[in-house]
Amino acid sequence: MKREILSEPDAQALTVGKLARLAEVSADTVRFYEKEGLVAPARKSAAGYRLYEKDAVRRLRFIKHAQACGFSLAEVRELLTLRGSGTACCTDVKSVAVHKKLLIEAKIRTLQTMSRALSELIARCDGGLLPLDACAILAALEAAEPHRRATEEMPTP
Amino acid sequence: MIRVEIFSTQGCDKCAQAREALKAVAEGLEAVRWREVDILAELDYAVELGVLSPPAIAIDGVLVFPSLPAPERLRVELTRRLEARAKLGSAP
Repeated sequence: MKREILSEPDAQALTVGKLARLAEVSADTVRFYEKEGLVAPARKSAAGYRLYEKDAVRRLRFIKHAQACGFSLAEVRELLTLRGSGTACCTDVKSVAVHKKLLIEAKIRTLQTMSRALSELIARCDGGLLPLDACAILAALEAAEPHRRATEEMPTP
Repeated sequence: MIRVEIFSTQGCDKCAQAREALKAVAEGLEAVRWREVDILAELDYAVELGVLSPPAIAIDGVLVFPSLPAPERLRVELTRRLEARAKLGSAP
């Protein structure tokens, strides 16, 4: 992004602090996004302060919202590129969203499987104040170990 | 019958062009059934098969092409499967 150095103060330009307040993020967050290449100052003041355009507020809100929807910074960057591209269309954005939804749904199913496995382990426990070597959960986890080792030690063909 | 399923979303023009070329390949072969799956309408099925980055193609309920292949690659894959089935069928 092209930067200019201004000798005159610019009433429209936003400093890091002002931008952070308007976008409801911390100044550190603005610096972090800048380091990640998601936002950039339009120019610098004569004193060397970074100055941002008003559109940076919308950009920061967009980034925050996208992150809240589960998009990674790389995906946010892709969405921002699509947002600023003259040739992209809504189906491009939709495909990014569909891809993200599929990843989330796959993750949900993995977590559900893990949750079911934990339920089975928890169901084995009678509670009470038995010593640890009588713990059914630890015993079940240990029981899985020899099988895993046996698989690992199998000779490769 | 070999079942070919293409997973995509409605309204994607880029997908539509590639889809037509692949559909022509599938429909040009005997004993191949072509089905278009709208991912959002059959999300559970798409996730179950491991579709992560549409468009993608599954054959007989298994994700074989996580991204769309060239029509020739699909033709080769389907022909190979049909020949393997024919061999199995003629085996004593």
